[in-house]
Amino acid sequence: MDLNDPTTQLEEELDSEISNIRREIRKLQRRRRFLASSVLSSEALQNRLKPQQPSTSTISSLNEDISPLVRAAGVHTQSNHHRIAFSTTTFPFKDPSPVTDAESEKDSKNLLGVRIDICVRNGRFTKPYYLLLRKVRAAEHAEKNKPEIRLKVHRHTIPAFIPVQRLERIMLPQHDPLPVPGDGDGNGNGHGAIEPLKKKPNPPARQQNLQMFIREIRRQLVSWHMRLDAIHLIREQLGIIRRGVDPYPDDEEDGPWDRDMLVDVGFDSGLGETRLKKNDYGIASFSPTALEAAYVRVEWEDGRVGRFKISDSGTVERAVVIGDNGRDKVLEAALTGGDRSVLTVLDRLKKDASPGRDNDADSNTG
Amino acid sequence: MPRPKSIRAPTTASLPNNLRIPSTTPSLVKTLGKLPRQSLLDLVFQWLDDRNVQQFPPFLEADEEEAPDDEGLRPYPAERTLNDVRNAYQELQFRKGGKREVVDRILDGDWRHGITLRQVAMIDLRYIDDHPASLRWTALELTRIGVSSTEAGDTSIADISACIPRIHASTFLSKLQEQISPLVKAHFYLARSTTHPLTFLRIFVTHSPYQNPRQAPDTLTDSSRVMYVAFPDSCPYVYTSLASTTGSKATAGTAVATDARTLQRIVRDAVPKALSLPHQRYALKSTSLTAKNLQALLALRGPGRSNKANGAFSIFADAVLEGSPLDPRPSNTISPEEHQKQTTYSQPDQEKENKSADTDKENDAEEPASQQNVPSRRARDLETDPRTAKKRKRTVQSRFGISGTSLSAAPLDRLDARLLDLPGVDSNADDDEDDVSRPALALTFTGTDVISGIRKLAELGIVDAERMPSWMTGEEGISVAVVKRRRVLNDGG
Repeated sequence: MDLNDPTTQLEEELDSEISNIRREIRKLQRRRRFLASSVLSSEALQNRLKPQQPSTSTISSLNEDISPLVRAAGVHTQSNHHRIAFSTTTFPFKDPSPVTDAESEKDSKNLLGVRIDICVRNGRFTKPYYLLLRKVRAAEHAEKNKPEIRLKVHRHTIPAFIPVQRLERIMLPQHDPLPVPGDGDGNGNGHGAIEPLKKKPNPPARQQNLQMFIREIRRQLVSWHMRLDAIHLIREQLGIIRRGVDPYPDDEEDGPWDRDMLVDVGFDSGLGETRLKKNDYGIASFSPTALEAAYVRVEWEDGRVGRFKISDSGTVERAVVIGDNGRDKVLEAALTGGDRSVLTVLDRLKKDASPGRDNDADSNTG
Repeated sequence: MPRPKSIRAPTTASLPNNLRIPSTTPSLVKTLGKLPRQSLLDLVFQWLDDRNVQQFPPFLEADEEEAPDDEGLRPYPAERTLNDVRNAYQELQFRKGGKREVVDRILDGDWRHGITLRQVAMIDLRYIDDHPASLRWTALELTRIGVSSTEAGDTSIADISACIPRIHASTFLSKLQEQISPLVKAHFYLARSTTHPLTFLRIFVTHSPYQNPRQAPDTLTDSSRVMYVAFPDSCPYVYTSLASTTGSKATAGTAVATDARTLQRIVRDAVPKALSLPHQRYALKSTSLTAKNLQALLALRGPGRSNKANGAFSIFADAVLEGSPLDPRPSNTISPEEHQKQTTYSQPDQEKENKSADTDKENDAEEPASQQNVPSRRARDLETDPRTAKKRKRTVQSRFGISGTSLSAAPLDRLDARLLDLPGVDSNADDDEDDVSRPALALTFTGTDVISGIRKLAELGIVDAERMPSWMTGEEGISVAVVKRRRVLNDGG
């Protein structure tokens, strides 16, 4: 009740101590599990155990205990190697939903999963992206002898600015020429069977190209992450102050805090706000305009505002800089000049823009 | 006082930002009173900020000399300089007190000459930021018109991009104004949300063609004449707050086209047109999702990963299934622990869901979950057979993934389902589509978080987790479902 009571104080102290210790234990347990699985999946151990597998007679009792774990670790390492090496891997997945859809039941429950892993600048991998594809049997009107199976994107976790639907329409065309909306994908019963029959001159559906589809989606994902990485890198070169983490000098006038969209895919991380340090480029703000990071907005301390577009291949496509005296063509040329790479934007700004800047400003006013 | 109404000619311009609503308007007190004291003070400091003060000049002594009307009667004498005004509010900030004091000071003191429309808009948006569930939002999808047919022919993938319109604020607003000006007079206010990755557009509509409407000033704060459009970042969706209030219907006596709702509809129809570019026209398409919580809309129709992966597939969206390829731990050793954590987290906040079945109950799954028999049932189940309980839990986890737990931020407050299947008849049997009497069954679930409520029911064994249809797990990410043959038939909207 009263906080000054020595026993309550003592209790509180003990409580906090206990919770601290518990936290520590959890942390150590996690670390132990991590280390254990590292050891289990290590090359040396796996190689050591492998030759003993055939002659299980001698150490069978030991092997019995250890083998499931070791085997699981080995399998996991192998799939990890695949994921690292190929970046796109597939896996089966069973839809738990009890869809009762006549004859295609067993097909529609088994999904083909595609997992895309993308390595980013800090040597880590992003959260994997998934596509789950459903098999769709050919409708009755197709050649009876060849029940063609087509794939259809069922669920996916690709961000919305990558047009999965439109890519699917092009590269994974469905049987029905008229796109059947929603889930009624023409399984030969109900409306689906009647309508294709009415349309007699049915053009043969084009071939599906799953590889091209996945490749295109992966390409867009990778180029998105590259754009983010490039912007992140440039911001770091300019020098950033993280809010609440780094001490920042009070005498400077406060520039705008940018919500950091670059931390993995931190849509919801409100605390990762950063600000640029004072730098000799005179850049006050350098940030992507939106999540897909196709456009970068630059603000200079003297009030000039610029914006440039990053292409999928990482070059500066277009740039506009507007100051008090209209457009600043020199800076624009510097942004799009040279090899046009985003990564060297700062070098170009330093080399081209700084000497010519004052002259240009003069000529503009004159 | 508003500005002198010497010139009164119908124009096509939008209502100006600096149109003042007389501070004596009684509804202004209500408008300001929505906000708590601290938010009010924050707003005032924003108004008095050096960058904004030209737009919202407070009433100073100099103004009083120009128009001496009732000197000495006011409880708050006009301050001499801007800094004095600021200091006065600083003082209020340090002192404790009610918000009434601040409201009075604003209306009777420093803005006695009127509150501008822009200020009203700022108040409203501040309120939305503070109360994200104060409106019902409907998600609409932006689709391009007339592309699909031509696109199917040539497979050039060079210029395929999602239809994410780039919004340049002033261009967009002037185009929108162009679209609606013959019919609607509006005031626009575009602002960035401070809490969500969204841009809000607040539109106030009236039907008067005059720049200084001679209507009762109360109509200028009428909340039923306000609509909001929110543009989430980097995704082809638009949220609108239309169909939120059905308030001032009575005013629509004179002509059909002048009631607030019609005007709002006109504005909404103009939004995709204003976003369109030459050779790149957009249309809005419904996505069958309406929810009160903006967070839910952002999760289900937002820029993230969870748009098309909910319910059983939410494990993919949040990547709780597998870790990074550099993680040496096999995934099956991590996920149970993760799931365990989730279920313990989600315990406290799940008691409030109630469900109400509108017309009828479905065959077995929807039995009334009255409060008194739930605990007994649960206790019995848990005591008698821990194995089935465990199995059920696993089923629930596989069906729901992580949706319905506190980890997923998509609380639907309402889920409407229309079932077109005949109850009791095997779903394979009704292949023939003759229109015999087809009973339609409508179910409505309401509550703070419907999906987590259904999940809870499934955990208790009231809903059969294995056999229930997938729309009950939130897998489709919709709030209005038309179900036929146990599949959701929404026409893409």
